[in-house]
Amino acid sequence: MIGKVLIANRGEIAVRIIRACREMGIETVAVYSEADRDALHTQLADEAVCIGPAPSSESYLNMQNIISATVISGADAIHPGFGFLSENSRFAELCEQCNITFIGPKSQVIQSLGNKSEARNTMINAGVPVIPGSTEPIFDAETGAKIAEEIGYPVIVKAALGGGGKGMRVAQTPEEFENSFNTAQKEAQMAFGDNTMYIEHFVQHPRHIEFQILADEHGNVIHLGERDCSIQRNHQKMIEESPSIALTPELREKMGEAAVKAAKAAHYTNAGTIEFLLEKNNNFYFMEMNTRIQVEHPVTEWVTGIDLVKEQIRIADGRPLSYKQEDVHITGHAIECRINAENPAKNFRPSPGTITDMYLPGGKGVRIDSAIYSGYTVPPYYDSMLAKLIVHAKNRNEAIRKMRSALGEVIIEGIDTNVDYQYEILNHPDFVSGNIDIEFIERLSE
Amino acid sequence: MNLKDMFKKTSGRSHYISLRNSRPEVPTGLLRKCNKCGAAIIAEDVKNGYYICPKCHGYFRVHAYRRIEMIADEGSFEEWDKEMDFVNPLDFKGYEEKIDHLKERTKLNEAVVTGKVLINGNPAVVGVCDGRFMMASMGWIVGEKITRAVERATQEKLPVIIFTCSGGARMQEGIVSLMQMAKTSAALKKHSDAGQLYVSVLTDPTTGGVTASFAMLGDIILAEPKALIGFAGPRVIEQTIGQKLPKGFQRSEFLLDHGFVDRIVEREELKDVLARILKMHQRADAAAVKAALKADGNIGAAQTADSGAHAEIEEESSVTEQIRDSLSAWERVQISRQKDRPVGTDYIDALFTDFMEFHGDRYFKDDHAIVGGIAYFHGIPVTVIAQAKGKTTKENLDRNFSMPSPDGYRKALRLMKQAEKFGRPVICFVDTPGAFCGLEAEERGQGEAIARNLFELSGLKVPVLSVVIGEGGSGGALAMAVADEVWMLENAVYSVLSPEGFASILWKDSKRASEAAEVMKLTAGDLKRLGIIEQVIPEPEEFTDENMEDVRADLDGRIAGFLENYTEYSADELTARRYDRFRGM
Repeated sequence: MIGKVLIANRGEIAVRIIRACREMGIETVAVYSEADRDALHTQLADEAVCIGPAPSSESYLNMQNIISATVISGADAIHPGFGFLSENSRFAELCEQCNITFIGPKSQVIQSLGNKSEARNTMINAGVPVIPGSTEPIFDAETGAKIAEEIGYPVIVKAALGGGGKGMRVAQTPEEFENSFNTAQKEAQMAFGDNTMYIEHFVQHPRHIEFQILADEHGNVIHLGERDCSIQRNHQKMIEESPSIALTPELREKMGEAAVKAAKAAHYTNAGTIEFLLEKNNNFYFMEMNTRIQVEHPVTEWVTGIDLVKEQIRIADGRPLSYKQEDVHITGHAIECRINAENPAKNFRPSPGTITDMYLPGGKGVRIDSAIYSGYTVPPYYDSMLAKLIVHAKNRNEAIRKMRSALGEVIIEGIDTNVDYQYEILNHPDFVSGNIDIEFIERLSE
Repeated sequence: MNLKDMFKKTSGRSHYISLRNSRPEVPTGLLRKCNKCGAAIIAEDVKNGYYICPKCHGYFRVHAYRRIEMIADEGSFEEWDKEMDFVNPLDFKGYEEKIDHLKERTKLNEAVVTGKVLINGNPAVVGVCDGRFMMASMGWIVGEKITRAVERATQEKLPVIIFTCSGGARMQEGIVSLMQMAKTSAALKKHSDAGQLYVSVLTDPTTGGVTASFAMLGDIILAEPKALIGFAGPRVIEQTIGQKLPKGFQRSEFLLDHGFVDRIVEREELKDVLARILKMHQRADAAAVKAALKADGNIGAAQTADSGAHAEIEEESSVTEQIRDSLSAWERVQISRQKDRPVGTDYIDALFTDFMEFHGDRYFKDDHAIVGGIAYFHGIPVTVIAQAKGKTTKENLDRNFSMPSPDGYRKALRLMKQAEKFGRPVICFVDTPGAFCGLEAEERGQGEAIARNLFELSGLKVPVLSVVIGEGGSGGALAMAVADEVWMLENAVYSVLSPEGFASILWKDSKRASEAAEVMKLTAGDLKRLGIIEQVIPEPEEFTDENMEDVRADLDGRIAGFLENYTEYSADELTARRYDRFRGM
């Protein structure tokens, strides 16, 4: 039985985990860096242990110190949260070696899924769709054209040593192929001194759709529906919602099944997320599996009514899942906005500093997960996320209106935030109509 | 708002008692404490990370077999003389028990492990000292195993690499221990006389009799960072002289500055560096040179793969022909001194590949005014030595404006003798206002150092080429230009002393330097006419390190021609020709 958990994280997720533990009657140990003495998680936990100086490499990433803190405080388990050591198989392995329950999958599973090509092969073998591509290097357009035909248009030609968009060309049709291939290859030869090419199916204007998975140690795996995380900037998600407007019940079932298959193939346990790219024609492709709790987990919690962090702890404790697939129902619509300390006008430059005044909204269907308080100083060393504002309503339109209303109430003084920027997105006709893909923010910034 | 202790806690229990039957604990050996920075570190990270502290980057001492694993190709190690019978020459009481105990504890038979390995495919004989065994002090068995390994290497024509680490002599074996110094040194002398390579790698700590014998005898001496290296230990010195020693005294970096170490090598790159050294010490005879030059179709070609490039060079040359006549000697003097003119290191970078710099004169200092080492010229190993001006004031201060000290000439000579031993051609780049003029230079024998180079170079048994690329200042230049051929860049100058000095001695007026330049006959054209030099390399107008390509391509072709010609000659022919070259002047 887990009776005491050390939370190897900071910020709102540490607070979120502490809250779940308190509700379960589990004692909590916070760890903190010298910069986080006054942080909410440090104060809220039953105990707190300082694990090093401000830079995360010396504190929140310092495996030895975190293990020592666990042993000294006598905690049974470590919850790694997200980021930091959450997907570090070495750390999970250390926990296993030290008889500490790591609240997450086994180290071996983290490692296999962290290896891109290994994960891809696992998925291919399990029959989970991946982006079709050439398996062998290609050197001439003629061979390439044949392979492109098999893969299906549009295709993207990529240099083996490529990067930064160099040596990359899209061919929409077979007519375009030869030209695209030769241009890309020439560019690759010039830029990298190498003309080895690969061809992949080009996924056009995709949505980022991810499925939440729960898997226990007794072989039960369920999915909790999807999250649409297409609103992202430089691969950083900004707004997430569940369910996705793009999924029909049939497609949801199909993708959900694929997600469960993927988790089973990876021998996955605990909470995890399967990320897919979804094309307009409803083809979807496995991207990667995140082996941790995610920032955006509250939207799933709200539409399913399942507390994911509590489930994580129960699974880690060896207990079977509290739910079966047929118990999972998606009710209403939830949207999350990430509130960051950054200045959108200055290329989203982080804006650390002291919060002089603040007011956060509340009311029915409004949830705030945050670790800030009036007088709190946002340290410059870590992620700039201050709070997550989540709303839940009967349907998407109502949820959007609720989110606008809630964003309008947010007051954070003393530092810059992206609240106004989020407000703009919530009013954008394309967002409102649900006409979004992962290039939405890019288009907005132009 | 201060939140301190404002929140209610989960439970009132002050001490949590786990309900599990086994508590979290760190298994023994999982974590270690760094003995340098004190940080807790994961033992396995250290093991997988070359035994370097991940926190402070401090080096831990490495067990002999681990060391061999680090440098040898997997499965290639073949151990020699593993079992040796215990000896106790002085019948020292308790010695045998001590050795037995150590054998038991360390699973080693003695303080050195020897054998044969492959390093990236290159065969070598290795000896590795292990400090756990009586601080790797040199008893009879240590001396004997090293001697046997060296002897066998000589016989099998294999290079030797020894990783040193030692507290010095083994007290329990008294005078017999002392004799091991002579024995190992004698074996290495024979190995060297047979023309074979020996590389020593100094690790922490290398002291006493080992320093004063095989550690310091490497053709190439490498050291690990911050290793303690010295004859007398620092504690002994402090007690003797009654003074505190300065920080960094007797560390690898100190030895590098003082000319005793060729190069400090990080553990991560050690295998690679050793493999490169072994590979570069394969002999290049005339046939091999011919084959290598023939195999490379690009010699002399401009690196822009444009077919028009050759034509451009031709055109450029004719342009420079015109310039040649239009410049006065004094103008050329000024061009030769121009700040943005390519310097010695630019030529090394442009003409050679895999340059590995070696440091130090083995007496006192590493003079940065001279840069030297080994490199490939189209696959042919050569020794390259350059008088190196800097590009910035800071660099120039470090390089003493390319005015070498005696230590610099001694380093150059050491590298030339090394080239001779391994049959490598020597290519020198001359660019100095003159040998350094100063107190320390005289104290350490500037005149002797220059004279010695003239003396030794005249008889060096490998081809020597010198290219004057900028200023050829007097004896300071000549000390690197007693060569089979001397070439000059079009606007380089070469003279008995600077025009300023000439004017001041002859006319007691250094302001008449420009006048002096005209009468001194110091330009490339003049010297060619006088028969002092063989070739003049044309320069583009405004010659800088930005537009070296044409000159590089030109020199590339000419050097290839030189090597092809001169590697044909026997050692006697070479030295006879060189003698005649200067005899006629």
